[in-house]
Order: sequence, then C-alpha cells, then structure tokens
Amino acid sequence: MIEPSTHLRNKCAVVGAGHSRLGKVPGVSALGLLEEAMKNALDDAGLNITDVDGLICRGPDEIYTLHQVVGERLGINTTFSTTLTNGGASQVLGVALAVMAIDAGMASCVLVGYGRDNWSRVHANNENHLRASGRPQTMEISEFGPEFGYFGAVAAHAFGAQRHMHDFGTTREQFGAISVAFRKHALNNPDAVMKKTLSLEDYMEGRMIVAPFGLYDCSLQTDGAGAVVVTSAERAKDLRQRPVYIKGFGTCNNLSGWFHERNMTHTGAIQAGKTAYAMAGVGPRDIDVAQIYDCFTYMVLVQLEDYGFCRKGEGGDFVASGALDLEGSIPTNTSGGQLSEAHVEGMLQVVEGVRQLQGVYEPDRQVKGAEIGLVSGHGGNTVCESTLILGTS
Amino acid sequence: MVAPYKKPLPLPAHESEPFWEASKKHRLMIQKCAACETHRFPPSVTCAKCGETNSSWVESSGRGKVFSFVTFYRLYHKGWEGELPYVVAVIELEEGARILSNVIDIPVEKVVCDMPVKVVFEDVTENVTLPKFSPL
Repeated sequence: MIEPSTHLRNKCAVVGAGHSRLGKVPGVSALGLLEEAMKNALDDAGLNITDVDGLICRGPDEIYTLHQVVGERLGINTTFSTTLTNGGASQVLGVALAVMAIDAGMASCVLVGYGRDNWSRVHANNENHLRASGRPQTMEISEFGPEFGYFGAVAAHAFGAQRHMHDFGTTREQFGAISVAFRKHALNNPDAVMKKTLSLEDYMEGRMIVAPFGLYDCSLQTDGAGAVVVTSAERAKDLRQRPVYIKGFGTCNNLSGWFHERNMTHTGAIQAGKTAYAMAGVGPRDIDVAQIYDCFTYMVLVQLEDYGFCRKGEGGDFVASGALDLEGSIPTNTSGGQLSEAHVEGMLQVVEGVRQLQGVYEPDRQVKGAEIGLVSGHGGNTVCESTLILGTS
Repeated sequence: MVAPYKKPLPLPAHESEPFWEASKKHRLMIQKCAACETHRFPPSVTCAKCGETNSSWVESSGRGKVFSFVTFYRLYHKGWEGELPYVVAVIELEEGARILSNVIDIPVEKVVCDMPVKVVFEDVTENVTLPKFSPL
C-alpha cells in the first residue's frame, strides 16, 4: 500500500541487485532476460514480486509501452511505472525517478531494469531462415491479437463496454447520453471542431465500428496542441492569472492487463483517485467540475464510477440523468471533450480544467463558483490512469 | 489450388513456442506454476500469483466461457475482406486462464458474455494452427 504525502520524503536506497545470464544466451528474449535479472535482484533484497508496486524500465525500443509488457509478464499492477526513452541516460534517470516517485508517495517498491538481446539478433539470421514460420530480422513479437483480427483502441475499450453492459445492464442509449451531453458543451465552445447538435436518435443511427461502439462512441481525429505552465505557489502569487493550485495527483497502472481479473470494469481510476483525493484532502463530493479522458464514451462512464461520483454499476443511470450538464451534479468535459472539441491526448482537458478555475468563461460555459476540479488521463494499452486535482485555494 | 492466406500470422516470443507447437497438433496447452499450481496465459517466465519461475505446460480441457467480446463491423486489415462482421473474444478457460481468440460457428448477434464454448482448431497454413472457439 502507498501513502501519498504532501511533504518531501526521506532519501531512498538500493536494497538489492541482480543480473541475468550474460554473453551468448539463445532461446530467451530480451524480456525473458529482464525478468531473470529482476528475479535475482528481488532475491538479493529478500523481497517477492508481490511486494513490487513500481516499475521503471527500458529495453528493445521497438516494443511499444515496454513497461506494460514487462509488468504483464511479472503479473503486477503498479501505482507508478513508465518506459524511459532517454537513451543511455535512461537507466540512471530510472533510479533517480524511482526516488522521486517514492518521495512523492506514488510507489513503495520500484523495480528498475533494462534488458537486451543483441547477440541473438545479430547471430540468429540463419536459424531464422530455417524457421518455417519465418521471423523478421527485428525479431518482433506479435501474437495473441492480429492473427485473430484484433486491431485498434476501439476494440480494446469495446471489450470493457460489453462486459459492463453484461454485469450492470448498461445500455447503448446510456453511452449515447454522454455523447449528447458533450456535444451540448461543444456548441458553447467556439473552438470546438463539432458544430452541429447531436440527438440520441442521431447517436443510435451512427454506423457500427466495433460493437458495442458506433461512430459517436469514438473520439475525434484532429490536429491540435495544448500546454500549461507550472511553477511554485509562492511565485504564482505574483503572476497575472488567479493561481490554480495542484492540490493532489495520483497514478495507477493495471499492468496485469485489461483482460485480467476485473480490470476492464474496475479501472486504474479507483486507486489513482484514492491517491489524488488523499493527497489533496478532498473527496468526490468536493469536486465542482470534471474533465474526464473520453477516448470512448464508456471510459467516461466507468471513470465516473471509479472516481466515486456514483456507485459501481450505476454509471448508466447517472450519465443519463443530466449529471454531466453545466448545471448538473458534476459538470463534465465542459469544452466538449475529445468526443466533440478535439482529441489532443488529454492535454486540452488539462487546459479546460485550469480555465474553469481561473473563471475566465462567460456564464454559458463557466461552472458557477467552481473551486475544485478533477482532470483524468487514461491510455497506454487501456490500463494506465493518472489524476490531477486542481483548486483555487 | 488453395488461395494464399492473407491474414497476419503469429510471430511468437520464445516463451510462447510450446503453445504454438501444440496448436499444430490440435492441443491447447497453457502453463501451470510448479509452486502454487495456478494456470496462466499468455506465456511468461514468472507466476503472477506467487513469483515462482518454474512451470510446466499442461493441456487445457479446451472448455470455457466468453468473458467479453467485440464485433468488428469496420475493416482493419485486408485479410478480413468479405468476412465482416466477425467476433473477437476473451475466453476464460475452465482452468482460470484467459485467452484471446475468435468465436465462430454462430451468428455474431447470438454471442453473449458467459456463454460456454469449446476449442476448435483451424489449420490456416501448413505451419500455423489457430485455436478458435465454438459454442458448446
């Protein structure tokens, strides 16, 4: 268990070290070697894999989100993990980052590792040519997905939506209520890409993409960018805008996989939210406005549950009740979100979260008296979640 | 002459090779932890339950349930031209491990979560066999 903190922590220590077999090691991938070294390091420290809640690693750079692949093999969920792409500086940085992560209360035990299989890559060509299935020279691993026609983020998230519908009776009409609510917000945002009204009938008539998701369950494909400046609270007092304080943050990455246990209906937002709330000293009832990562409608619904705005399983009724409207119980994605404003991987939602607390909008877009806001980020292979809680004081 | 196979073929990790070799022989093999006897999939060195690194390959009953599924109406790969819609599912095997595959031999609109299924093998090329699932 982690214990998020608002003050700087004590310094950390390296408590165990290990390495894998070295030199010519055929028959094992870079990932297998990394697992071996990590196991040895844990043994050295007298710890078990079940003690680990943080993971910082680097490996063959063609493996996307490497830390998830490693974490899935190790079978762990983490409260802090990342893949570093700082080249040769990554490994030292990984240790430094582990100290920072632990000081910040994001993890209690962090594994830092790097695996490679260069010898095997260079010398494996003849062997590969003999393999009937044929492996490209990059030795890229690709299995348990494309050969069954499983492609893309739509399908991954649709799995969660389908199981949620089965477990809790959630309906497509309820997903549609999310699309409709965000479109209404977008119509008050002159910069939003989508300019036309969207009715529930329009939503239901949208063509199917990967069921249960149709066209209007999916976020937009757009160009765009966003940015924020962060500085010390002391320095912020002298600047032009009313300061928007970072009250708390949290992360939780269910690396064991979207298909594992109940992860597709009980997301990382549960723990990320708990962490952020604890650091900020607030709870879901204190939140005046929310910006929830909306790559697909279902992710809004499940995150609203997991952040405690309604109970687990009641997200469908909750979103259909008008709760997400400007005057609702938790005004959500007040810019139109990624479903109706623009998709910039959550950055625009941070911008919107800040502006709502700066109080810069006209009444048709401003949440009246907003003092505390929540911003969520979700992504990777559907299992990474981060949470930010902002406030005016 | 048989038409060439146009869909992607698996490019296995070393740790997965026993699975694909067994599939060719129409056997569904999964790993079993040598310490806590938990069955697992996809293949890995480490047991997620207890951290043990010794394991053996055992044959699954091939029976399970659809944990969740999606239905592709949009074409993502030319290999599926003319085959839309099709179902991709996460199957929870009787032994507890979950595996991604297709549900076949049933109209897509009849597939539901928790429906019982059993493995069937498709020899898609001379060297590759895919385990798929059919209603029980």
